[in-house]
Amino acid sequence: MSSDLVSVTIDGVVVQVPKGTPIIEAAKQAGVLVPHYCYHPSLPSPAVCRMCLVEVEKAPKLMPACVTTVADGQVVHTDSEQARKARTGVLEFLLINHPLDCPICDQAGECELQNYVFQEGREGTRYGDYAKRYNPVEDFGPDVLYVANRCILCTRCVRFMDDVAGTPVLNVSERGDRAYIGIDQDQLLDHPWAGNVVDLCPVGSLVSKDFLHKARAWDLDKTASICTGCSQGCNIMIDTRDNTVVRLRPRPNMEVNRHFMCDHGRMNYRWMNRGDRIEAPLVRSGDRHVATDWDQALDLVRGLVGQAGPAVILASGGASLESLGMLKGMLAGRPLTAAVQVPLADAEAPLAGVPNLALRKERAANGEGARLLGYSMEWDPAVKVAGKAALVVLLDVALTDAEAAVVAGAGAVVVLGTIESQALAAARVVLPVTNTAEEQGTFVNRDGRVQRYEQARSAPGMGRPAWWIAAEVQGAAAATPAEAFAQVAAAVTGLAGMTYADLGVTGRMLRGASAAGSRV
Amino acid sequence: MTPELKGFLLVSVVKLLVVFTVTLVGVALLTLMERKVSAWMQYRLGPNRVGFGGLLQPAADGLKNIIKEETLPGTASGPLFMLAPAMAFIPALTLSSVIHWAAPLRIAFDFTLPLLGRFAYDALTPMAVADLPVGFLFVLAISSMGVYGIALAGWSSNNKYALLGGLRASAQMVSYEVAMGLSLVPVLLLTGNVALGEIIRVQQDNAIGFNWFVLPLFLSFFVFLISGFAETNRLPFDMPEAESELVAGYHTEYSAMKFSMFFIAEYANMVTVAAMVTTLFFGGWDIPFTRWDETPGVAQTLATGVVMFLKVFFWLFFFMWVRWTLPRFRYDQLMALGWRVLLPISLAYVMLIAIAIYLMENVLGLASGLARLAVLVAVNVVLGYVVFVSLDRGILISGSRGRRAAGGGLDRAA
Amino acid sequence: MAIGVKVLKRPDRNVSYVRATLKGLAITFRKMLEPKVTMQYPEEKSAPEPERGAWAISPRWRGTHRMLTDEQGRSKCVACGLCPQICPANCIKLVPGEDEHGNRYPLIYEIDEFRCVFCGYCQEVCPEEAIHVGVHYENAEYSRDRFVYDLERLSAQTHPVSTLWDPSDPKGE
Repeated sequence: MSSDLVSVTIDGVVVQVPKGTPIIEAAKQAGVLVPHYCYHPSLPSPAVCRMCLVEVEKAPKLMPACVTTVADGQVVHTDSEQARKARTGVLEFLLINHPLDCPICDQAGECELQNYVFQEGREGTRYGDYAKRYNPVEDFGPDVLYVANRCILCTRCVRFMDDVAGTPVLNVSERGDRAYIGIDQDQLLDHPWAGNVVDLCPVGSLVSKDFLHKARAWDLDKTASICTGCSQGCNIMIDTRDNTVVRLRPRPNMEVNRHFMCDHGRMNYRWMNRGDRIEAPLVRSGDRHVATDWDQALDLVRGLVGQAGPAVILASGGASLESLGMLKGMLAGRPLTAAVQVPLADAEAPLAGVPNLALRKERAANGEGARLLGYSMEWDPAVKVAGKAALVVLLDVALTDAEAAVVAGAGAVVVLGTIESQALAAARVVLPVTNTAEEQGTFVNRDGRVQRYEQARSAPGMGRPAWWIAAEVQGAAAATPAEAFAQVAAAVTGLAGMTYADLGVTGRMLRGASAAGSRV
Repeated sequence: MTPELKGFLLVSVVKLLVVFTVTLVGVALLTLMERKVSAWMQYRLGPNRVGFGGLLQPAADGLKNIIKEETLPGTASGPLFMLAPAMAFIPALTLSSVIHWAAPLRIAFDFTLPLLGRFAYDALTPMAVADLPVGFLFVLAISSMGVYGIALAGWSSNNKYALLGGLRASAQMVSYEVAMGLSLVPVLLLTGNVALGEIIRVQQDNAIGFNWFVLPLFLSFFVFLISGFAETNRLPFDMPEAESELVAGYHTEYSAMKFSMFFIAEYANMVTVAAMVTTLFFGGWDIPFTRWDETPGVAQTLATGVVMFLKVFFWLFFFMWVRWTLPRFRYDQLMALGWRVLLPISLAYVMLIAIAIYLMENVLGLASGLARLAVLVAVNVVLGYVVFVSLDRGILISGSRGRRAAGGGLDRAA
Repeated sequence: MAIGVKVLKRPDRNVSYVRATLKGLAITFRKMLEPKVTMQYPEEKSAPEPERGAWAISPRWRGTHRMLTDEQGRSKCVACGLCPQICPANCIKLVPGEDEHGNRYPLIYEIDEFRCVFCGYCQEVCPEEAIHVGVHYENAEYSRDRFVYDLERLSAQTHPVSTLWDPSDPKGE
């Protein structure tokens, strides 16, 4: 393989990169970020912004780092006098028409134009008397607004729609300084993955209607997590402000979702902020539930679990591997039926340009993990069995009225729930559990990739992760999610020996499943 | 009851009413004066909103204090806490009864009232509520009583700052009581009497009508004045209520009228000390260089009353003047000044004056008042020079010198 | 005692207690007779152009806030969020919104003047020159909740705004 590697010197650092790598990627390996607008690692490069011009020794003029591939022995200066002057010039040109409305721009704080101008822009303007171009704000689609004035015409959005989404509805209209991003007549930017153009836009030109004016970039706390929208397991970043989730953004993972996520997942966060949560353990007393402390509630559950007779677990397909595993461990030794609820949609919504990436039919994050742990996907039969069981444990599931009526026939019902609902009326004990945004855990996606998610907001009231409850009831020694994962993983062939440290931020394939094999 | 006794009682009651009314009103106005003088010395105007030029400010303060809430700390020792202000208040007011405020006046009347009967009085009446034969001994005795009120207030408040303030006050007053008492012995030596009326008489009784003891007994006056500052807890000796260290000292926990009583006691004490300084060293109501004021008469009584008022007023002003000039002493300096400076000085002074009087009477045989005055003034000039040079060079009061001497081997070690 | 103290010999007039005391008494007496500087507050107030006897607080005074408005009487604030961000006392509450023309404006803008430390950072950071600290000192109210100034109240203030720095010497040299 070494013959495919070339050696280049970038700002004095020698790096070995594969042949055909653009200088801009090689520079990243050397620890240098070449400023750029039009280049994006998941999009083809047109080299239109001229921001990434770098000085290559023996080249007659500055070269765009995004399209110039490395050559053996090449010496590149990204921060030389000439390169810096070129970038300052490009920034000055961009600012001719760019409005100085950072105070009202949602992108402020994460804007590449703002950052680069701050780093190496001119101090003042030479176009004081020149009136800036004005175009009205355009409504592109369900969630996207186009603020033409702020556009720097990097064309990332056009290329995304053309080359990745395969739905070319955007274009560059007009020419020269009158150019703007146009949308085809009678068309809307309503592709299921269209929301990505907001993330791709380096400035505040394409903004999300959902996030508009909601928070400033510097107010946000960012937490690495996994999308719970479907079984694809896209890596995401949960942005919270004051303990409230305000938006979800894709987190790059080249093996799963590259830089993208679908609009369904993007909008699927409001349930994380719900206020009607169960906040304390509730114990049935007569015909109503009375709040109590954990000790008393756990004692009661311990008594119910210790009895003989068939038991049933009905769990949500969005529960973590830890919770599902510990819960099953809690009822080990009794005749057990365990099933997870995985809502099914009618169709998939694939992203054409990326293989094996789609909004899947199975709209639950951890169906594969549940299957690994021996949970059944057969929901209705399991509910029927539950009606005759001695003990039914419900983990964060939404039952229909009919199902709730069936389950109420069981000997005892223990609910581990997040949201208050009428269906809980039959429960002997109701225990508050955390939702995905409030706990650490792992999911297994449909391709068998085990991925971790982190806690993004604090748990409401006395809420605890479901695995903690199960561990307490059975007296297992699992104080941290990492310990719970290790205990659960030990019993499963594909997971055995894995630890949180192994999983890292991009996850790891199950033993036996191959990354390449699962990709088309 | 004889008509003479009834007449005496009537005169006494009238004197009593006049003196206490004037004292209490005077104390009230004194608080205004204190605030005005303080303000003027700090480039301010002082209270000027209530009444003309702020004249009714004391009335407003009094009214406020009466309608304010009385607080009683939960942990305080109740009865003693209540008793303490009275213990401070009563001796302070009692003292004003022995001061001679003006020249004696012959009062004579003889009349009969229905039901009460005949009142008869005919005597040269001293302008004091009680012309006690024990004179300044009574003043010393009663003024020492004031410390009970303060010590009790400090202790019964059950507050560490109040307790410290009370302790400091007791220690300070006991210490300076000694120097104060000894500084008055020379006065006794010169007068041969402790009655205040007699002391005033001696001070005008020589050829030129001017024998104020401040000249022949200057060091006594000096020691008495300093002790007076200490006894009244005025700056620079206001350690008992040093607000930067003790919040407010012994009266931290007091509010409303109880606090007001401490306040009145303090100012009444100031009046007493000012009046005592005047009486003992500045001839009391005496108008100097004339003997006109010695023959009783209404005009003389009025004139001497005004003179007495002016003298007392000056010393009250002096109290305030010093307050805004000198910084507070450190506590060890205060104690050192009392025990190591004032006490030895007044002891030695008693000896020297006694010797001087003995020599003048028995060896030199000086009979003339003026000659004796001249000799004593000469003695005082010499002694005063020695004492003030010592003070000036920091030989008598210097904290660092004291510590350096105690350190002993310091100079050698260095 | 390892420290040696060297006592300097100084002239008598510098170390004399008696002379110092007399000098002090003389000074306090002299000061008592000099003109007074007290300002009679309710009658005499700060005037923008002080005439004889009147006075003016510094134009750099940082008092309670004032929100400037545009020609239409709307506040100039665009709800950019910089002032709540910079505020060291965390006393500014801001909720941004969008008006009928699609302009960003503050739905809620409240300053808790009790929490405010009057540092003036909000004025310095404001990109729209909207929020200002005022040259104003008469703030008494009958209840504490009146000290949370809302947008309407801030916009209704008419007192002059602070210059924050001396106009003739902006860098403080």
